Amino acid sequence: MKTKNSENYTKWQKSFEQETKIDLKEASSETDEGIEIKPVYTKADIENLSFVDNDSLPGQFPYTRGPKASMYTNRPWTIRQYAGFSTAEESNDFYKKNLKSGQKGLSVAFDLPTHRGYDSDDDLVMGDVGKAGVAIDTVEDMKILFNDIPLDQMSVSMTMNGAVLPVLSSFIVAGEEQNVNKNLLSGTIQNDILKEFMVRNTYIYPPDPSMKIVADIIEFTSKEMPKFNSISISGYHMQEAGADNVLELAYTLADGMEYVRAALSKGLDIDDFAPRLSFFFAIGTDFFMEIAKLRAARTLWYKIMKDFGAKNEKSLILRTHCQTSGVSLTEKDPYNNIIRTSYEALSAILGGTQSLHTNSFDEAIALPTDESARIARNTQLILQNETGVTNTVDPLAGSYFIESLTDELSKKAWEVIEEIESLGGMTKAVKAGVPKLKIEESATKKQAKVDSGSRVVVGVNKFKNPKEPKVDVRVIDNNRVRDDQIKKINDIKASRDQKAVDESLAKLVTAAKEDSNLLARSIDAIKNRATVGEVSKALEQVYGRHFATSLSVSGVYGKHFEGDEDFMNVTKKVNIFEEENGRRPRVLVVKMGQDGHDRGAKIVATSFADMGFDVDMGPLFQSPKDVAKDAIENDVHAIGVSTLAAGHKTLVPELMKSLKEIDPKSKIIVFVGGVIPEQDYDFLYKNNISAIFGPGSNIIESAEKVIDLISDKIHKNN
Amino acid sequence: MQLVEKIIKGERAAIAKAITLVESSRENDKNESRKLISELLNKPGKSIRVGFSGPPGVGKSTFIESFGRYLVEKNYKLGILAIDPSSQITGGSILGDKTRMIEISKNPNTFIRSTPSRGSLGGISAGTREASIILDAAGYDFIFIETVGVGQSETMATNLVDIFSLIVGPGSGDELQGIKKGITEYADIFIVNKNDGDLKSEASKTASDYKSAISYYKKSNDTADKEVLLVSAIEQTGMEKVIETIQNIVSQNKKNKNFDERRAKQLTYWIEEEVREIIQFNIQNKIKADGSISQLSQKVMDGKIQMFEAIEAITQNLQNK
Repeated sequence: MKTKNSENYTKWQKSFEQETKIDLKEASSETDEGIEIKPVYTKADIENLSFVDNDSLPGQFPYTRGPKASMYTNRPWTIRQYAGFSTAEESNDFYKKNLKSGQKGLSVAFDLPTHRGYDSDDDLVMGDVGKAGVAIDTVEDMKILFNDIPLDQMSVSMTMNGAVLPVLSSFIVAGEEQNVNKNLLSGTIQNDILKEFMVRNTYIYPPDPSMKIVADIIEFTSKEMPKFNSISISGYHMQEAGADNVLELAYTLADGMEYVRAALSKGLDIDDFAPRLSFFFAIGTDFFMEIAKLRAARTLWYKIMKDFGAKNEKSLILRTHCQTSGVSLTEKDPYNNIIRTSYEALSAILGGTQSLHTNSFDEAIALPTDESARIARNTQLILQNETGVTNTVDPLAGSYFIESLTDELSKKAWEVIEEIESLGGMTKAVKAGVPKLKIEESATKKQAKVDSGSRVVVGVNKFKNPKEPKVDVRVIDNNRVRDDQIKKINDIKASRDQKAVDESLAKLVTAAKEDSNLLARSIDAIKNRATVGEVSKALEQVYGRHFATSLSVSGVYGKHFEGDEDFMNVTKKVNIFEEENGRRPRVLVVKMGQDGHDRGAKIVATSFADMGFDVDMGPLFQSPKDVAKDAIENDVHAIGVSTLAAGHKTLVPELMKSLKEIDPKSKIIVFVGGVIPEQDYDFLYKNNISAIFGPGSNIIESAEKVIDLISDKIHKNN
Repeated sequence: MQLVEKIIKGERAAIAKAITLVESSRENDKNESRKLISELLNKPGKSIRVGFSGPPGVGKSTFIESFGRYLVEKNYKLGILAIDPSSQITGGSILGDKTRMIEISKNPNTFIRSTPSRGSLGGISAGTREASIILDAAGYDFIFIETVGVGQSETMATNLVDIFSLIVGPGSGDELQGIKKGITEYADIFIVNKNDGDLKSEASKTASDYKSAISYYKKSNDTADKEVLLVSAIEQTGMEKVIETIQNIVSQNKKNKNFDERRAKQLTYWIEEEVREIIQFNIQNKIKADGSISQLSQKVMDGKIQMFEAIEAITQNLQNK
């Protein structure tokens, strides 16, 4: 038997090499994760695996093949679309429409001010109210959000991490006032603060008190809300920020371990809370890798929980929500996104997810419209109803390739987990900035592959559409939303019992100082109509607000372009510029408002510096006024504004005004990059924006354009 | 000169443009820059220039944010010159100091300028001294100069600032042996940061290590004592002691003329440096114009004359021009 195998293999190798004219040893490719992908896999590849057990079955340890024995054959995954925008009234309408059209669970997107614990009337958040999610200021907003949606029947997922206390409290009180006891509420709160420090940046307090809040919520829900998932440990945002699958998998599980320890430190028994821990992964375009990731995640979590001493079977099983990749969507030729999302969705299903969000094709540009949301939802309905993928559990099991890839991924992730553990766990690693830096490095590498053309993105760096289609997008009138919210806040503040509010907030502060459970206290404050901002500020008195320090990678981008003509061309231009002007072109890269997604800004900064620019980095959450001061003091040639949360229409004009206020003769040029719908281009150009770079812009081309614009400006002035 | 008036009025954009001018490597700008600085030197302000240095990771920028916040709350005007390393490979730089100076960078009483080090390795950049003269004329009470690494301590202490302070972290006492000589000599203040949380006892221990190290330093009778201070940038503690120490050292050094002597020495050094630069520039032009170097080199290669003969001939030749 064995000899026959190896005879066959030798024969195959010969044919392969004849057909391809490539030596088999040279024919493998390497993934972002550094995993070798061979042209063919055989039985030999699944012998002696480290983590995967070839004989295991679905619903049996190590749960590689799925958390349940029957999986989708009994009940398909939950179609759970993440949505929210504008006011609670408008989001509520949108939810009800979606539920009528076949969606099964709700998933609420909050706006950035809510995430960061600011009320809509706070000056700091002017440009962000109602933009990237729904604005929630008080429990009254939460009640409107779930109007006519019975909370004892609907499972609700809430993406909330920073202002997790007032928001979860509002949800509980909204339920109560709908006559639904909290022990009947089902759903998930994201409550995953560690990844916020790594990538998403919607934290409020420093890491240690933030971890205490996570543990408080796990403690409270494990006792009072048996149907509610206390946390959704999320790798999604890591992949969105540029992490490869090994980093995403390892850091997510290492985060999970840290939360388990935090809950254990409260004196809870592991089996009291572990069954309610849930996960959330991103599904990108690397089809088989994503399938392997979900299988590896379950396999590793089983091992981790065993090591923690969990006994209840439910504690050992990793259940996850998945979302197709937002960062894989392109602004160019946007209908391609429907196809990308479909394949990603299929990966998630073959990997065995419990619920799924499919992105709308226009999400690289704006919030989904009713129409694009329908197509996204139908992507899943077609998979469930037309393709037959629900008929067999884990259909890829036994595939030489998939099993070997699952094992390889597990091994690599395990090494990274051990590295984090050796630093003393994720809280310490996060404080040291290690994971953030690793993710940024990975992100820069990926970007360089696209810009250099070694990775093809259809419609972006190859097979471009000569006739770009026009797409209608949803427009949010941010000023109107803000005015509505301010009016509601004022009405509530006028009618509430102020003394009761003050007392309950004082009790919350005391609880923070005494280290007792904060969720119970914040529920009281919210019940008395304290606002989200007031609850957050009360705790800020005790804990302070966290500001992240920012480390940057350098050299990673440039390394991919050694000898590249376009790249060299830009560096040459930079050197000539320096000779002519006595200094290098200098660019300030900023984010404004409450949008903390800084992957784009970081990549631009490091790659421009690699091309020889002097790049100033501004802190996160700056106001346009702060940016103007910064730019003028450093006498930069240009400001690059990175915007991903739709605040540009308010914040960019404000920046232009501030520049002129400090220096009426300011010659600083401003360019904008990120998620900007084409409908806004005219508006921005009218506000004297010099260039706009949408998602998927080639950075080398962008850099060249920027240096040309700067040179033109200088020549015109001379 | 209009620019001078605008600087003295404290116009932000004018100050910024002036700093660009003095940092410029363009020949035309250098003459402009010298003219500007000469005029500004006639209109001196009253600023105290404080240098901050320290190994990476000790929280220099965070300390400056914290201390700076303390100062602006007391209505002082604060100018900050932060020098970041340029990449030796690409020549570019990432200037990220302001990501750690969030509150003070917003304050109208601050002026914060980051400068890429360009040629000079992670330390003082060309134009830093001139930039501090601009900020002085513009009316800033304190000018902080921040550099990466301790390698530039001597240059900074002797050429640029009135007070030089070294920021260190808990546990750094062990490294003292290696760097003791230069540091104890040039630093006026040792600031031990991160005196908070779990690191408190370690920080105290480090402070006493430094105290005992500087006790070996033989000071001349009338100079101000060197001080070791414990601070926490994140908890903003120990800040009043830092300002008190700075003010004490300044007033003591002013009383015994040390302050002026130091500035006089810095001026002498500066003039010397400028002269050297001009001569060097002239010589370089002569060398470019003179073809004898390549001719004589060839002769050396061919074994027709000896190397030292060639050198002497070239030198003679250039001096006679």
